[in-house]
Amino acid sequence: MNDTRGDARMKKADIIKIIGVGQSLRGDDAVGLEVVRLWRETYHRECTHPNLQIELIELPGIDLLNVLDGSGLAIIVDATHGSSKPGTVYKLSETDLVSFSGGSRSAHGWGVAETLSLGRQLMPTKMPHKLILIGIEAGQLTLGGTLSSEVQDALPEAARLIDQYIRDEFKPE
Amino acid sequence: MNQDIYIPALARVEGEGALTIRLKEGVVDNIILNIYEPPRFFEGFLNGRYLQDVPDITARICGICPVAYQMSSVQALETALQVPISPEVRHLRQLLYCAEYIESHALHIYLLQAPDLVGYESAISLAAEAPDLVKKALHLKKIGNDLLKTIGGRSVHPVNTCVGGFYRWPHADAIHALLPDLDWARQAAIDTVKWAATLTYPDFEQDYEFVALNRIDEYAIYDGYIASSTGMRIDPSDFEKNYIETHVEHSNALHSHTANNGTYFVGPLARFNLNFKKLRPIARDAAREIGLKPPVRNPYKGLLARAIELVHCCDLAIELANDYQPQGPSFKEFKVRPGEGWGVSEAPRGLLYHRYVVDEQGLVRFARITPPTAQNFAQMEADLWALAPTVVKQPQEEASLSFEHLLRSYDPCISCSVHFLKLKIDRE
Repeated sequence: MNDTRGDARMKKADIIKIIGVGQSLRGDDAVGLEVVRLWRETYHRECTHPNLQIELIELPGIDLLNVLDGSGLAIIVDATHGSSKPGTVYKLSETDLVSFSGGSRSAHGWGVAETLSLGRQLMPTKMPHKLILIGIEAGQLTLGGTLSSEVQDALPEAARLIDQYIRDEFKPE
Repeated sequence: MNQDIYIPALARVEGEGALTIRLKEGVVDNIILNIYEPPRFFEGFLNGRYLQDVPDITARICGICPVAYQMSSVQALETALQVPISPEVRHLRQLLYCAEYIESHALHIYLLQAPDLVGYESAISLAAEAPDLVKKALHLKKIGNDLLKTIGGRSVHPVNTCVGGFYRWPHADAIHALLPDLDWARQAAIDTVKWAATLTYPDFEQDYEFVALNRIDEYAIYDGYIASSTGMRIDPSDFEKNYIETHVEHSNALHSHTANNGTYFVGPLARFNLNFKKLRPIARDAAREIGLKPPVRNPYKGLLARAIELVHCCDLAIELANDYQPQGPSFKEFKVRPGEGWGVSEAPRGLLYHRYVVDEQGLVRFARITPPTAQNFAQMEADLWALAPTVVKQPQEEASLSFEHLLRSYDPCISCSVHFLKLKIDRE
């Protein structure tokens, strides 16, 4: 899928925010948090970008706007709840996100698409030039449960995607 | 209107659930407020956990009111272990609670209930027509978040509260630096009251029993006795004798009743009606200026009570922040011992009761959590019954919106009473 917003190449000085969203006591809903943790353990050391920030945030709702504030590129990792096989990894641009949220939704009340739409409307200069969502299809959202094996198996692929995006976005000319 | 109404999802409420209005030959036959999520998970989850883990675990019950869960839980455990807290700790906890009220009330007033009153589908469509209004809401909310983060370490699930006090004192400079924002927030809150008074509220009044915390010296939020509009005033330890939870077949959430099997109403309207005289003078003046005085029996006007409380909390926060000068240890050391304790505080949505039994190792052996939305469920259903005969005469879409609006005016947090709410009307 093509990224549609912020066609201009990102500048090195832009802040990249990698944002894991989820709930840690609710089965596969924790996957966004776990993917970002895995990325941090596996790839962070190699990443030389000077302005990279990592955020792990549970049930942010509309407070996601504050987290996005000031970033050039935002990579959000979150569980999705649709009709695909658990563990399916989606790569979505902002435009994809709006159409995607019609048939499915983020597992967290005030969806990422709605929050972003509000942010673009009210504070366009503070929202990221580009936003990417890495969504992982959740299987079970049992309170107190751990990640399902299907979702656990998808962690490396999702973490690799984060790394790939950063490399692609900032590769030397 | 002769066909059944089915509304699959209640928007703008915290969590997920459904409402079914069943009609038989055009007359309301049954009303069912249904909750899908597994009940009482957290009570079971806490069993066997060390007492000091409880504030952080219960904070995760809700993304909007984590402080309330922390405040009721630490008070219950401090009662169980007989841990006295210092006045400085109490003041900082009050300030933390102000932060939560500012962000929660700003969210509900402007983004959750206002779209119903001004005729917009959502905060996003409201933002298109009245961007400055929504910007003000977001700015207010952010000020609450910033204060919460400064004290609690994080804005969504704060982690600094512990049994005995706080893990560390926040820096005084960081708290004092928020004063200009809090000054702005207080004025914005006063403007909010004036704006809220211009809205048109549905004409609907019921004869409620209001229940809220009560203190003789202040507008009770952090702690207090439990008072009712019937005149009853009890100690928190007597809560379960007077307010009984029962399982209702159609819902995973427990419903609360008074010992006489009556419904009751907790939340900002209850607090306003029972404690009006204890509001900060600036908040009382704001209420008088718009002609609002107790008793207010229209649930939609809970929005006005929230706006008044917003003024109160901003004003209180300014005083507490100004006076903040941490001294001595931030928490009281204590010896673990077996015990049982009760804690009650006023979450933004209403009275929140916790009871714990801990053993000699400090492990939780019993937990009871009664959230405000569970206490209001029976009253919400009673209101739906009272509203339904008029509403079902409306066209389908309008009827659905009317039911949703009533429920949203309660600011229900299904995440608290269980977790994730949806709305449905069936006709035969």
